[in-house]
Amino acid sequence: MSIKYLRVINRDQCIGCFSCMYACSRMVRNSAGSGKAALRVKGYAGVEGAFSIRVCARCADPDCAKACPTGALTPAPGGGVRLKKDLCISCGACVKACAISALQWDEEEKQPIPCIFCGQCVKYCPNDVLAMQEIPEKEADQR
Amino acid sequence: MKGTVLHVDLTAGTSRIVLHEDIFSGYLGGSAAGTELLFTYGDPRADPLAPESPVVFAIGPFSALYPVATKTAALFKSPLSGELGESHAGGRLAMSLREAGIDALVITGRAENPSYLAVENETAEIKSASTFWGQSATATDRILREAESKTGRKISVIRIGPAGERFSPIACATVDGSRHFGRLGLGAVLGSKNLKAIVVSGTKTLPLAKPKEFKTVYDILYDRVVKSKEMKKYHDLGTAANVGPLSMIRGLPTRNFTQGNFEGAEAISGEQFAKDFLVQHTACAHCQCGCIHLAELREEFAPFHYSTNRVSYDYELIYAMGSMLSLSSPEDIMKLLLVTEKQGWDVISLGCTLAWATESFLRGTLSLEETGGLPLAFGDGAAYLEMLGRMAKGQGEFYRDLEKGCAFCARKYGGDEWAIQYGGVEPGGYMTGENFAITCMMGVRHSHLDDTGYSIDQKLLNADQPLEEQVRAQVKEAQWRMVLNSLMICLFARGVYDEQIILEGLAALGLKWDNSGLQEMAEKSLLRKYEWKALCGFDHKSVKIPEKMYSVQTATGLMGRKSLQKRLRLYRKYAGLKSRHD
Repeated sequence: MSIKYLRVINRDQCIGCFSCMYACSRMVRNSAGSGKAALRVKGYAGVEGAFSIRVCARCADPDCAKACPTGALTPAPGGGVRLKKDLCISCGACVKACAISALQWDEEEKQPIPCIFCGQCVKYCPNDVLAMQEIPEKEADQR
Repeated sequence: MKGTVLHVDLTAGTSRIVLHEDIFSGYLGGSAAGTELLFTYGDPRADPLAPESPVVFAIGPFSALYPVATKTAALFKSPLSGELGESHAGGRLAMSLREAGIDALVITGRAENPSYLAVENETAEIKSASTFWGQSATATDRILREAESKTGRKISVIRIGPAGERFSPIACATVDGSRHFGRLGLGAVLGSKNLKAIVVSGTKTLPLAKPKEFKTVYDILYDRVVKSKEMKKYHDLGTAANVGPLSMIRGLPTRNFTQGNFEGAEAISGEQFAKDFLVQHTACAHCQCGCIHLAELREEFAPFHYSTNRVSYDYELIYAMGSMLSLSSPEDIMKLLLVTEKQGWDVISLGCTLAWATESFLRGTLSLEETGGLPLAFGDGAAYLEMLGRMAKGQGEFYRDLEKGCAFCARKYGGDEWAIQYGGVEPGGYMTGENFAITCMMGVRHSHLDDTGYSIDQKLLNADQPLEEQVRAQVKEAQWRMVLNSLMICLFARGVYDEQIILEGLAALGLKWDNSGLQEMAEKSLLRKYEWKALCGFDHKSVKIPEKMYSVQTATGLMGRKSLQKRLRLYRKYAGLKSRHD
């Protein structure tokens, strides 16, 4: 068994088109905008062309889940988190707890958007910025 | 589209949502729907800078949904031409309007004090811009991105530079990362409303009516954008790739349209810019092509101390600040572009006006008295930089006049024959021949993008085509672009979006259109624009070209008075203008 990780492999090739965010919203959540994406491309005020891409690190012991007061967000097998929607009280503590700002917030449903590591964002990146990397479970455990 | 229009009245300080579903269902959206909103909210006889004159921003049904539907149309009365003002810009504006749930934003009135508008999800707040009135367009962007930053959300920032605050009719409005509503003076109209900037953001998500159909159309479009050759040129060298080839066929306007081949073309070509200065490509929101080319300008301001700025370049910018002024140094061009970007001028109008001034000085109709002791000469980059500096400071009457465009200057100082303008509007960079001249005269925006005249001219170099057919193709393209510009597809993707995929794309959104419906809408909306222009006083029967243009060699040779008249007659006939407006 191996575990799939979503990685930013060529940050400096990003053109800021947000195609990855649109792909995630569209393919995973049937939403045509970019608002339901589980990753984020950030720009910086006054620095034209500088982008930072924040994707779920698939932590084995996720800070976001630890911050959840109701048990809605729980660690998933192999890392990352799962959301039990009916337990979520929309407090936003999980998003604040993610130091790399990778966990995104659904403004419509007022809930976090956990990444499912399906690789759709990778498929729709025109510049090979993102990649899925598979790491054997044993190695992943030691990380 | 529901036709959700957010109408902001700056005088009253109020805003409200109005539904114009009829307009958006009949005219798709964008350019055509925006024109109808001009009819609804504006008086074509009013002063362009009067408070009651509206500014309309409109998106279309494909905006933010399909790839490269990135544009927003701005409609207003132009202070430069005195008639239809229309300009399109990319950036993130279309995405932000869509996510705010707004199909169009209409702004009327005048704010009492320097202000900016913060639009968020169908609501608008008028806020004070007193602290940053007078700041450059670039600084304003930095300020507002911080002041209006929303956690986890994209915002779009439209702003004017000092040129717009001074009501310069060649002032543009800049959007996000160096995208512009460049042409026809939107900057002055916003300035006259005491409006420094507009910030748009929203949180709306967009559920899909037919996810399966939508994804099928999306994937076809995605593959065409990313994997086919349709957009390769724009992604690789960008429009700057045209510099060399156009000069080669004598179609690159040089030294105020004196000739079409520039001896310095190679030094300012797309290839040269890429090799020595290009540092990154960026994209408008939801465009996988990424045609924005950013060059880096490094200057030593003191021994061993450097400033570094990023400057976006394209073909039209290199023409306007390069070959038109006989500048063959990319650094000289970039220095001028940087000042232009900060001040917020339209670079095409500015370049043409500087070129007019230079020719006037060389011919002796302008003297050192007017120029304040500054001798003007083609190729003198330092002098042009000094001119921009004086214009920015408003240093002397002549420099204050220069930012009013070359038609105004020619009326005041003479030199009308060599003031290169059509209906008051300085043209794009094509010296290809008669088809392009017709575009400039008859195009609803006097823009090279109104139809495909410059391209028809270039094709004539390989194969002759009867004159009637040329004009017919031109009008057909002008009508078809009503469809593209109402869907708000970037025209660089015009090869990606054929009629079939457009109809499929509309159907996947649950919108019922067919071929004849699109054709009818295209013809009608073009005529509606001429109707608005006529009400402003535009007379399509009295259009003309600058006298100088009859004596210069274009790529297709000398232009003839008789054949131009014949083309004009045919253009009116094919567009259906004769029967309606004669």
